[in-house]
Amino acid sequence: MKRWLAPLALAALVPFIQVRIDARLSDLHSRSDLLYLWTGEHVRRLSPGLEDLMADIYWLRTVQYFGSQRAFAVEKNFELLQPLIDITTTLDPRFELAYRYGAVFLAEEHPNGAGQPRAAIKLLERGARANPASWRIQQDIGFFHYFFLNDPQEAARILVEASKMPGAPVWLRSSAADFLQTGGERDTARRVWQHLYEESEGRMRDNALFNLRRLDALDAIDAHQQALEEFRRRNARLPESLTEPGMSALLRAPLRDPVGVPFAYDREKGTVSIARSSSMWRAPR
Amino acid sequence: MGGLKRVLAVASNTFRETIRERVLYNLVFFAVLMTISGLLLGHLSIRQDEKIIKDLGLGAMDVFGTVIAIFIGVQLVSKEIERRSLFPLLAKPLGREEFLIGKAAGLAFTLLVNVAVMTLGLYLTLLLTGRALDPDLLKAVYGIYLGLLLVMALALMFSTLTSSAVASICTFVVVVAGRYSDVIRNIKEVAADVPSGLIQTLYWVLPNFRNFDFKNAVVYSVPVPPGTLTLVTLYALVYLTVVLGIAMATFRSKDFQ
Repeated sequence: MKRWLAPLALAALVPFIQVRIDARLSDLHSRSDLLYLWTGEHVRRLSPGLEDLMADIYWLRTVQYFGSQRAFAVEKNFELLQPLIDITTTLDPRFELAYRYGAVFLAEEHPNGAGQPRAAIKLLERGARANPASWRIQQDIGFFHYFFLNDPQEAARILVEASKMPGAPVWLRSSAADFLQTGGERDTARRVWQHLYEESEGRMRDNALFNLRRLDALDAIDAHQQALEEFRRRNARLPESLTEPGMSALLRAPLRDPVGVPFAYDREKGTVSIARSSSMWRAPR
Repeated sequence: MGGLKRVLAVASNTFRETIRERVLYNLVFFAVLMTISGLLLGHLSIRQDEKIIKDLGLGAMDVFGTVIAIFIGVQLVSKEIERRSLFPLLAKPLGREEFLIGKAAGLAFTLLVNVAVMTLGLYLTLLLTGRALDPDLLKAVYGIYLGLLLVMALALMFSTLTSSAVASICTFVVVVAGRYSDVIRNIKEVAADVPSGLIQTLYWVLPNFRNFDFKNAVVYSVPVPPGTLTLVTLYALVYLTVVLGIAMATFRSKDFQ
C-alpha cells in the first residue's frame, strides 16, 4: 500500500498544477483551442461507419461551446458556433434537434446568442431539405421569420404549409392566423381563422370563433378611430364620450365588442380599445 | 457426421481458449463502459440522451468488436503454430479444413457472446434511463455481427498467409478500405484518370462494410425491410465462404516444416 502512496499523491498534484497553468495561459491564448479547420465532410471521411457517433460528439462540443461562451466568456464570441453545427449536421443530416437548437443558438441576440437569425433560418432550411417529413423544422422556420425577421406574412405562409404535413398539429394554422393578426394582415388572418372554424371542433373551434370575433372588434375599433379623427377635424377637439351626439352621427360601428362589453375610450389620447374588463381583451405584444 | 463432430470439438476448444483472453475482457469492459457513459453524456446533449446512448452503444459494439475480431482472429492459427500445438492436432484424424472451420466457428461464437454482452449493456442503459427497449436495435446489432464475422474471416485468411503482425495490418487496411467503399465507387469525381475497370474491380473485391451499417436507420426508427436484411445476410455468407475458402486452400498447401 505504501508504495502506491507516493505516485497517488503526485497524481493528485496534476489537476492542481493544471488549474494554475490554465489561469496563466488564458491571457496568452486569444482564440479558442477548438479544432475548427475541419469541415463536416472531412470528419465524415475520417470516421466511416461511425458518423452518428462523431455527430454526437460534435453536438456535445457545440452545446459546451455555446454554454461556455454564453455563461463564462468575458467577451462573448460565437464564431465557432456555425462551423460546429455544420459539422454535426453534415455528419448526421437526420439530427433534427441539432438543426432546431443550433438555430436558436445562432438566432438569439448577442450576447445571449450569435445574433445571426438569417444564418439560423438557412440552417433550418437545410434541415428541412434533409428531413422533408419534419413539420417541426418547418414550424421553427415560420416562427423564426416571425420573431427574428418580423415577417408575419412569410411566417404565416410557412406555418400554413407546415400544417398540411402528416402529423402536424392544427394549432400551426392558428399560430399562422395569430401572426397575421398581430402583423396587421387582418383579412388573411380572418380567412385562416374562418377555415379553422369550419374544419375543427371542440376547443380549437371555440378558439377560432373567439379570434374571428376579436377581428370584428378590431375592425370596429378602426371605425371608431376614423370617426374620432373626423370629429376632431370638424370640432377641433375630442368628444367627451363615444356617445356624444356629434360623435354618434359619425360612427358606423357598434359601441360594444362582440361579447357585449362597451369599448374603452381614452379621452386624453383619443384612442379606443377593447375594455380590460372584456373577455376579448389581450395584453398588447 | 464424424467431420462435424471434429469441427465442433475444435470450435468448443477455440471458444474456451478465446474466452480466457484477458484482452477480450478489457475490450468488452471498455465497450460496456462507453455505452453506460451515454448516461452521463446524454445529460449534456439537450434532450438527445436516447440517441446518444444508442449511438454510443452501437458504435462501441462496432469498434471494439472489430478490434476483438482482428486481434483474436489473426492469433487463432499463428498461436497454434508458434506453440507447436498444431502438429499433434493435425497428426490426429483431423483435416486441415476441419481445423480451420472449427477455429472460425469457435471465434464466431466468442464474437456472438461478446456482442450479446454489449447488447445487454446497451439495453440495460436504456432501461436505467427509462427508455423503451427498442427491439429494432437488434437489426443494427445483427448487421454489426455479420460485419464482425467478415472481419474475423479476413483475419483468419491473412494469418494463414503471413505472420500475425502483418496479418493484423492487412486485415485492418482491408477493413478500413471496405468502410470507404462508397468513396471508392465515386472516386472518379475527384480522380478522373483512374481507370473505371480498376475502380469497379476494387469495389466488387473489397468487402463492403457499409452494407452492414443499419445504426442510423434504427436510431431514427427508419424501417429496415426484411428483404434488405436477407440480401445482406446472403452477401455475408457468400463473402465468408470465399474468404474461408481461400484461407483453407492456403492452409491446406502450407508446409509447416
